[in-house]
Amino acid sequence: MMSFIRKRAFASLISLILLVVAVFFLSRLTGDPAALYLPSEASEEMRRQFREIHGLNDPILVQFGRYVWDLLHLDFGDSVRRARPAFEVVSEAFLWTLQLAVITMTLVTVAAIVVGSMAAFRVGGFFDRIASLTSLIGASAPDFWVAIVAIVVFSVGLGWLPTSGTGSVWHWILPIGVLFIRPFGLIVQVVRGSMINALSSAYVKTARAKGVKTRPIIFVHALRNAMLPVITVIGDQAAALLNGAVVIETIFGFPGVGKLMIDSILQRDFNVVLAAIMITAIAIFLMNLLIDLAYALLDPRIRY
Amino acid sequence: MTSIDIIPDEPKPLVRLARMLWADKFALAAVLFLLLVLVLALIGPTWLDEVAQKQNLRGRNAPPFEWERGWLWILGADALGRPLLARIIVATQNTMMVAGGAVFFSALIGTVLGLIAGYAGPRTGQAIMRLADVIMSFPSLLLAVVVLYILGPSILNLVIVLAITRIPVYLRTARAEVLEVRERMFVQAARVMGASPRRIVFRHILPVVLPTLMTIATLDFAFVMLAESSLSFLGIGIQPPEITWGLMISQGRQYLTTAWWLSFWPGLAIILTTLSLNLLSGWMRIALDPTQRWRLEMRGRRNG
Amino acid sequence: MIKRSLIWGTLAVATMLTPAFAQDSTVRIVLNEEVDLLEPCMSTRSNIGRVTLQNINETLAFLDLREGGGLQPKLAESWEQLEDGSWRFHLRQGVTFSDGTGFDARDVKHSFDRAMDPSITCEVPRYFGGMTIEAEVVDDHTIDFKADPQQPILPLLLTLISIVPEETPIEFVREPIGTGPYTLTEWTPGQRIVLSQRDDYWGEMPAVTGATYLFRADPAVRAAMVATGEADISPSIAALDATNPATDFSYLDSETVYGRLDHSVAPFDDLRVRKALNLAIDREAFIGTLVPEGALLATAVYPPPTLGWNEAVEVWPYDPEEAARLLEEARADGVAVDTPITLIGRTANFPNNVEILEAVQQMLQEAGFTVQLQFYEVAEFEDLYSKPYPEGRGPMVVVAMHDNSRGDPSFSMYFKYASDGRQSGISDPKVDDLINRAQAATGDEREALWKELHAYLHDDVVADLLLFHMVGFSRVNERLDWTPTMATNSQLPLADIAFK
Repeated sequence: MMSFIRKRAFASLISLILLVVAVFFLSRLTGDPAALYLPSEASEEMRRQFREIHGLNDPILVQFGRYVWDLLHLDFGDSVRRARPAFEVVSEAFLWTLQLAVITMTLVTVAAIVVGSMAAFRVGGFFDRIASLTSLIGASAPDFWVAIVAIVVFSVGLGWLPTSGTGSVWHWILPIGVLFIRPFGLIVQVVRGSMINALSSAYVKTARAKGVKTRPIIFVHALRNAMLPVITVIGDQAAALLNGAVVIETIFGFPGVGKLMIDSILQRDFNVVLAAIMITAIAIFLMNLLIDLAYALLDPRIRY
Repeated sequence: MTSIDIIPDEPKPLVRLARMLWADKFALAAVLFLLLVLVLALIGPTWLDEVAQKQNLRGRNAPPFEWERGWLWILGADALGRPLLARIIVATQNTMMVAGGAVFFSALIGTVLGLIAGYAGPRTGQAIMRLADVIMSFPSLLLAVVVLYILGPSILNLVIVLAITRIPVYLRTARAEVLEVRERMFVQAARVMGASPRRIVFRHILPVVLPTLMTIATLDFAFVMLAESSLSFLGIGIQPPEITWGLMISQGRQYLTTAWWLSFWPGLAIILTTLSLNLLSGWMRIALDPTQRWRLEMRGRRNG
Repeated sequence: MIKRSLIWGTLAVATMLTPAFAQDSTVRIVLNEEVDLLEPCMSTRSNIGRVTLQNINETLAFLDLREGGGLQPKLAESWEQLEDGSWRFHLRQGVTFSDGTGFDARDVKHSFDRAMDPSITCEVPRYFGGMTIEAEVVDDHTIDFKADPQQPILPLLLTLISIVPEETPIEFVREPIGTGPYTLTEWTPGQRIVLSQRDDYWGEMPAVTGATYLFRADPAVRAAMVATGEADISPSIAALDATNPATDFSYLDSETVYGRLDHSVAPFDDLRVRKALNLAIDREAFIGTLVPEGALLATAVYPPPTLGWNEAVEVWPYDPEEAARLLEEARADGVAVDTPITLIGRTANFPNNVEILEAVQQMLQEAGFTVQLQFYEVAEFEDLYSKPYPEGRGPMVVVAMHDNSRGDPSFSMYFKYASDGRQSGISDPKVDDLINRAQAATGDEREALWKELHAYLHDDVVADLLLFHMVGFSRVNERLDWTPTMATNSQLPLADIAFK
């Protein structure tokens, strides 16, 4: 396994490099930060000065060389907009996103597996219909809808919870509740589908025929084999959350990486964009590695 | 003296499908709804375009369920006084084109790449997976801005951006399933019998993989419809007065507490479409699987 | 015994039940975007100015935008223009910075030079384009500013310079030090900024002893926060949420929405076409529907309280038949009136801008124009709005929002209408001449020249498609006594807030 991990690390490093190079060149094609930082009425001279100070007047390959050199010294550059090291800006934001993502996906995984399996056990039954209906509505409802309605109902109307912000535990309930809904809806459906297949497969029938009465044992066996597509989709949803839940961050005022990324892209704050992409990419690559290892754990037939 | 008619002839495939559809009333309703959507997508703009564009500033945000104004105003009017029902019908074409196009292409490309990644040798597999990692980490907004700058705003470019960002989930899921299935007995048997890899993948492995992918694709539809609105919002793709359901929802965002119908009806349209697609895909999963078909043919609901 | 514990018990319960904010002399203000810098020389950017201006850092003078206000002394007690045209400022004595150092003329000179220094790109230099200014320290409490060419409104221009200690380095600082009544005690980026009162302030101590600034991008959430008591003031909420007259106030916010026309591209080079464009729009229909009540129809890119506003200039009437007739006339003369015009908007520029532009598009189409609508995000929009304009562009109406709360048209006119102006679409020697003369004039002559330019641009040149002067809305907790003014977009002095 160690050699597998080593090879993976090497391959991931190459992807990371490709990603950084692609983002570096493509993003600089898209516009002039000076035009966005300074107001419309600023003179051409001011813009030139701005570009000069931030090294944007040099030919692009020179800029790239300088960037790589700084990177090797672990210097991600400064945020043009915030006059602070880009790495600081991004890591602060990423911590918030990481917390939101981990908590939400843990809750989603547990809840979706339970609900999806129960739905699959009696296909077409009452619980199945209800679970499917609510999960589908949840998965297709627009997130800002749910967020604002939740605020209006629970915060302004009932006064149970604060509207937004990050102070106490209570502040996390609404954002996580709203974030929870879409991945939950999707994963319940995937679990249900896989479990239906697993529960009607030959070995489960055999187990039953042999007299294994206890439901939990059948569950666990079936679940184990149904998990492959499920953890793949869980990984995909987690990656989406790691890239930042922009709407939640905007509405609830969580200073996460999603809003930071959007603002920086629109402001052409390249250093922040690159730092954010790198940090998120590393997190995603790690997660995918863990998922691949999980495949092998869950199904011994899988060989790489 | 054997009676040749004791065993009835197997009905033609089409009749069989129709019977199975009849057995599941929910799926039947779903199919009818989707046919309606398809028809509206085809004829909507030619039929109602003029009415949907007629602005009436004095009648803006008119509430729904007021029957005096005519059947077109049942759902209320939008911020410019245009009838919502007409707008939704006209928007069907653009919505289906964008969402349908994006989901179709991402599913197609993702599945093919995933099948290759799972079945081909380790190097190809790794290369494709690392490509998927890169796509997962590339923020969709940045991709959209870059495409916008290089290729200009158009619906096709919007579909391209959306399709690219959704490829990884199909890719990874397909690959995961392939990894599992390729070690199974029937695949080994096929290989021993001399089937070519292409035949094995498409004839044996793909049918196993398809149901999960369809579940994901139907829910992706809703996600793409909503993601499209935030990109068009930035000027990439659909421009006013052209409209999609997603755009109607985001334009109605500010009126959520005062004129909820602006966002609600298009949101309901998305939910109903997703629901129908999901019911249909669930039905197809059972109807097209020879081992599960009995549930519909016998109209039974009990788990085996 | 029991009676005593009963009394103590009741007292304890009573104090617990007393609303916490009854004695609270701090305020919580929720802003619509995150403050990314607190650098004093960037305070002309509104989200920064709202926190620092007159709170942490002060200026030599400030502009009171209320009726008959004008320039009021702050760190400069008085000023006069000398014979050679330079301005002499007499500075207030006994003022200290929050780090203990004394305030004198050298700090003023350093603040000015630092703001102009090319190595840190503050926003301020753009207001001083086309002139050179030298600050000369006369003595500890007197400083001269010499401008070339002479600037009649130099004191007004200097209201843009925040005063910092002379030891401040020539780089952006994260801990601003100023002479204002408050100091920065906490800054958690992206979350919260806290200001606290300092005891050695030179002036009258404000009622507010501290302020916490929060950031929420969604207007509905901001309004909800004040409604639930989580915040005390939201300087900017959506018009739709402003339903409670006890807490919600509207104010003319000095922003003007207009469509810029490039007169060098056909068919906008034809006066009749430009007139038709203006006649085709039913501006009245927008007020109260897509644009909030209280907004004004614009005849210039600066709002009415600005010096040189010409009341005699009338808004274009809504006359679609006349517009169609003018187009016909132009078409008969061979002008390419059927060229597709692109109406260009910037996403999320102002509330309802999508609907407003859709309505404008339909009105223009009804008059006979062929109009496409296209929205761009900020970066691309800037490319189209400012020179150099892209090659091969067709006729465009670039709809932008311009802010001028400074009280004088000179802050706008050069950029928007001079031949070299960065956002200018015209090249008219009479306009250039009027701008130059008005900028150099004083008093009544200045006012007369700006008025003449106002009328000339609107009635004779028909330079643009002017639309609305916008209003903003604020929500204020009932325990506070504060209403927004036109300056609220750019500054929020805590000293203006009183408790009821």
